[in-house]
Amino acid sequence: MKWLNTKEGGIFLILIALSAVLAVRSPVFLTMENMIDMLKTNVVLAMMAIGMTLVIVIGGIDVSVGAMTALVSVLIGKWMVAFGYDLSVVLLMSVAGGAVLGAINGWLISKIRVHAIVVTLGTLSIYSGIAMYVTGGIWINNLPQAFIDFGRQNLFGIPMSGGTLAIPIQVLFLVLVAAATGYMLKHLRIGRMIYAVGGNPLSAERAGIRQDRVQLFVYTYMGFLSGLAAFVHTSIYRQVDPSAFTGFELQVIAAVVLGGANILGGSGSVTGTLLGVALLAVISNGLTLTHVPSFWHKVIIGLFIVTAVSFDIIQRKRRERRLAKIDVLQ
Amino acid sequence: MRFSLYEKVLLAVFLGLFGLFALTAPNFLSETNLKSMMVQMPELGLISLGMMVVILTSGIDLSITYISSLSGIAVAWGLVQGWPVPLAIAAGACTALLCGLFNGFFIARIGVSPIVLTLGSMLLFEGLALRVTKGGSISGFPESYYVIGGSSVGPIPLPMLFFIAAAIVTSVLLNRTVWGRSAYMLGSNPTAALYSGIPVRRVLIYVYLFSALMALIAAVIMTSRYNSGKVDYGSSYLLLSVAAVVLGGTSVRGGSGTVKGTVIGVCIFQILSSALNLYGLSPHIVNVMMGGILIVVLVANYLSEHIKHALHDIGRVLTGKASASS
Repeated sequence: MKWLNTKEGGIFLILIALSAVLAVRSPVFLTMENMIDMLKTNVVLAMMAIGMTLVIVIGGIDVSVGAMTALVSVLIGKWMVAFGYDLSVVLLMSVAGGAVLGAINGWLISKIRVHAIVVTLGTLSIYSGIAMYVTGGIWINNLPQAFIDFGRQNLFGIPMSGGTLAIPIQVLFLVLVAAATGYMLKHLRIGRMIYAVGGNPLSAERAGIRQDRVQLFVYTYMGFLSGLAAFVHTSIYRQVDPSAFTGFELQVIAAVVLGGANILGGSGSVTGTLLGVALLAVISNGLTLTHVPSFWHKVIIGLFIVTAVSFDIIQRKRRERRLAKIDVLQ
Repeated sequence: MRFSLYEKVLLAVFLGLFGLFALTAPNFLSETNLKSMMVQMPELGLISLGMMVVILTSGIDLSITYISSLSGIAVAWGLVQGWPVPLAIAAGACTALLCGLFNGFFIARIGVSPIVLTLGSMLLFEGLALRVTKGGSISGFPESYYVIGGSSVGPIPLPMLFFIAAAIVTSVLLNRTVWGRSAYMLGSNPTAALYSGIPVRRVLIYVYLFSALMALIAAVIMTSRYNSGKVDYGSSYLLLSVAAVVLGGTSVRGGSGTVKGTVIGVCIFQILSSALNLYGLSPHIVNVMMGGILIVVLVANYLSEHIKHALHDIGRVLTGKASASS
C-alpha cells in the first residue's frame, strides 16, 4: 500500500473518512442522484483547477480565471443569440477566446516579469469589466434550442434500482481534460519542463529550459481551459450570468491547494487536484445536506484550508529536522 | 521631503491628470466633488497603507478588506447593543487585532505562505461576518457616531485628517523605528535578516497586526459614513489597494517602497475614479480602465528600465569600456 504514504493518499483517506461520516448523517448523500449532481456542479471547478495546478506548479498564480470564464461565456452567449448554434464553431470559439485571454496574461508575466498576482489582478478587472459592460450585467437567456439539447445529453443510460445511471455529457470534457493534462505532465517534455521551472528556476535555466516560454504556455493553457469551462458551464446552466464567476478564482485556488500543490511551486498533480475538488465538493454538499446554515460553509472551508496547509508545513519541517538529526549522529 | 525619480514622475502624472480633469470633467473643481473625493479617499488610503506594509515584507494580505468589514460589523454590533462609542470601537479593535494575530501567527510561526493563508482567512472572516449579519446590514447608531465620518475641521473632512495622521505615523514607523527597518530588511532578504539577529517572527506578526489596525480605522470611517455595518463594505478595495501600492512604486518582491509613493498612487486612483464618474462612464468601464492603468504602468516601468539599460550600454560602447567590463 505504497500510495497511502503519498500526499494524494492522505487526502484520499480524509475524503473517505468525511464521506463515511456524511453517509451516516444523511441518507441522501450516497444516492446516485446526489453523486451525479455533485459531479455535474463541480465539473467546471475541476477543469479550471487542473489548469491552475500547472500555474501553481511553476510558482505562479492566476486570479483572473473567473473573469476569463465569464468573458468567454458572454462571448459565446452573444454569438449564439446572434448567429445560432454550431457545435464546432462555438467550441472552437470558446477555447480560442480563452487561450487569447490567457496568452495576454502569459505574455505580460513572462516578458514584463512582474509578479503574476499583480498582472492577473489587473486583467481580472479588465476582463470582468468588459463582460459586465457588454451585457450591462443582464443575463443572456434566449440561447438556441440546439445548444440546450446538446447540454442535456447523457453518456449512458443504464437502468438501475431507483432510477437510471446517466452520466451528463459535460463529464466527458472533464475526463478528457484530466487525462490529457495528466499525460502531458508525466510523459511529455513540456510537462517535465513545467516541474523543472517550478522546482528550481535557476537550474531549469541552466539546463536549457526557456522559463518565459514555459510561463507563456502555462498561462495560455489556463486560458484555454477557462474557455472550455465557459462552454461547459453555459451548457449546464443554459444561460449566461456575467457575474456568475465573481470570486470563483478563490475556490479554484483553494481546490488546488487542498489537493496538496505547493504554492511556492515545484509540486502538485492532477490526481491531487481532483481529490482537492472532491474534498471541497463533499464538504459543501455535506453541509447543505446536514442543513448547516450557509454562512458556516465559508468559515469551515476557510478553516479547512488553513489547517491543511499548516499541517503540510509542520510535517515538512518535522521531516527536515529528522534528516538533520541523522546527519549529526553520523 | 525628498522624492525619488519615480515618485517625481508619479507626482507629475497626478498633477497632469488633475489639470486635465479640472479642465474637462464637469464640476471636477466644485466644492462638492472635492469634498466627496476627500471623504472617499481615506478608506482606500488606509487599506493601502496596511497592504503596503505587508507587501514590503514580500507578503500579501487578501483578507484585509474582510478584516475591515468584520471589525466594522463588530463596532456596529456594539453600538446597536447600546454601548458607548469608545467601547464599541474597542470591540472592533479587538476583533481586528485578533484577525491580524491569526494571520500573523500562521504566517510567522508556522510559515504558511501569505497568499494561501490569507485566502483561507479571507473566507473565514467573510463567513463570520455573514454569520453575525445574516447577509443583511446592522444599522441604528447613536448620533455621536456619525461625527467621525460626517464632520470636518475647516474645509478638510475628519476622515482625511485620520488618513494624513496614519500616513505620517506609518512613515515614521517604517523609517525611524527598529521594527520598520527590520520590515524592509525582512522583505529584501529574509535569510540575512534572520542571521543578523532580527526577531523575524515578531516583526512579521506586528506587520499583520499593523495592517489589521489600518483596516479597523477604515472600517470605523466606513460604518460611520454609511450609518451601517455590512459584509461587502470595502470589498472592492482589495484590487485597488494592491494596484495603488504597486503604482506607488512598492516592489511586490518586497524590500522597497515608500509611504509617499503609496499616497500618490491612492490619489491618482481616487481622482481617476471620480473623474470617470463625472464623465458619466459606466462603472464597468471604469473597472476596465483601472486594470488597464495598472498594466500600462507596469509595462511603462519595464520599458523605461530597458531604455535606461540600452542607453547605458550605448554609453559604454562609445567610451570604449564595453570590452573591459562584463
